[in-house]
Amino acid sequence: MKNGQPSWKRAYVNMLTVLARWLLGAAFIYLGLNKALHPVEFLKLVRQYDLTQDALLLNSIAAALPWFEAFCGLLLLAGVAVRGTALTLAVMLVPFTLLVFHRALLLQAALNLPFCAVSFDCGCGTGEEFICRKLLENFALFALSVWLLAGHGRQFSLWFSLLKPPAP
Amino acid sequence: MRDHSIQSTVPTRRGAVGRISAEAALVAVVGIVFAFAADWISPRGLALARNYFPTGTNHAVRVAASAVPPGRIISTNSASPSPAQQLATRMQQEGLQLIGDHRAEQLFHDSHLKPGVVVFIDARDEEHYQAGHIPGAYEFDPYHPEKYFPVVLPVCQAAEQIVVYCHGGDCDDSETAALLLKDVGIPGQKLFVYGGGFTEWTNNRLRVETGERNSGNLRNANQ
Repeated sequence: MKNGQPSWKRAYVNMLTVLARWLLGAAFIYLGLNKALHPVEFLKLVRQYDLTQDALLLNSIAAALPWFEAFCGLLLLAGVAVRGTALTLAVMLVPFTLLVFHRALLLQAALNLPFCAVSFDCGCGTGEEFICRKLLENFALFALSVWLLAGHGRQFSLWFSLLKPPAP
Repeated sequence: MRDHSIQSTVPTRRGAVGRISAEAALVAVVGIVFAFAADWISPRGLALARNYFPTGTNHAVRVAASAVPPGRIISTNSASPSPAQQLATRMQQEGLQLIGDHRAEQLFHDSHLKPGVVVFIDARDEEHYQAGHIPGAYEFDPYHPEKYFPVVLPVCQAAEQIVVYCHGGDCDDSETAALLLKDVGIPGQKLFVYGGGFTEWTNNRLRVETGERNSGNLRNANQ
């Protein structure tokens, strides 16, 4: 026993965390590549959020975001800079989810529908989806990212932490 | 003893938070560089400096239209113009003409009687064009115009009537394509935007052609 936890329990948590890391990594690679392979379609979807009228900025967001997600997914899958990547993803997911939520509210008002009946392609890489399901998916991705921040599951990692703590 | 352990863990935690934040910043910087490099290398990558949307499309209308379930009617103020009326007004302001399915069919028959005088332009992407298009229509993806201008431009210059279409509904690629053609010197009075687009064409069970233009692979829609 170490740190007040039986060793079998620690091993179980570590294994689950490794699986969570692989799942999150695979999810972001899938979502990122889905958009990166159809950049014009993604650009049109990003444009619908009316984030900016500046063509250069809009193009930059649509060009970089999918590949950035795929990059983070690759890092998680390989186990490189795991906690830093998890923090980046968690920080990214918050504004994205708020934007999707805001657009869903606009659609709900425009169409006079119950909130969960609102369905649209949010540009998340999963096609058209009902908003409540989308929000739950985003919450699950966020929760997995936060879990990885705890620092468990270092097995099968190439380079878990890029920045080592200073020697005592 | 307890106080001592708390004091010793606080700086460690702060150090860990700082290290994770620094690592996140490093991931973000390297990731952004990777992302732009990947877009630059990718054959499908976006050209950052290009304005892909020269149209002043009303997003609110498109947003609402894109989310309407089939068969559902949106309750609107009768005094305000419908999305279709707004679209027609906008086209007029842009110097384009919006046409419906009857006029499009009529022009399609004319295109057979007067080849080269009446032409159809398909403003969808290559994948959709290959899967099926209005017979004889020229492929013209407005997001990759440089690829199609060498063929499409001389055809449009010689034609007297040009019908541009995309999927229909909330799709504004036909409008984008028509404005692009107008920008390169095709007179607006020659340009007709078929609002119902390919969806309406197939719903009317008209003939479609698959593969390349004039491939001879004709079939009735929805077969």
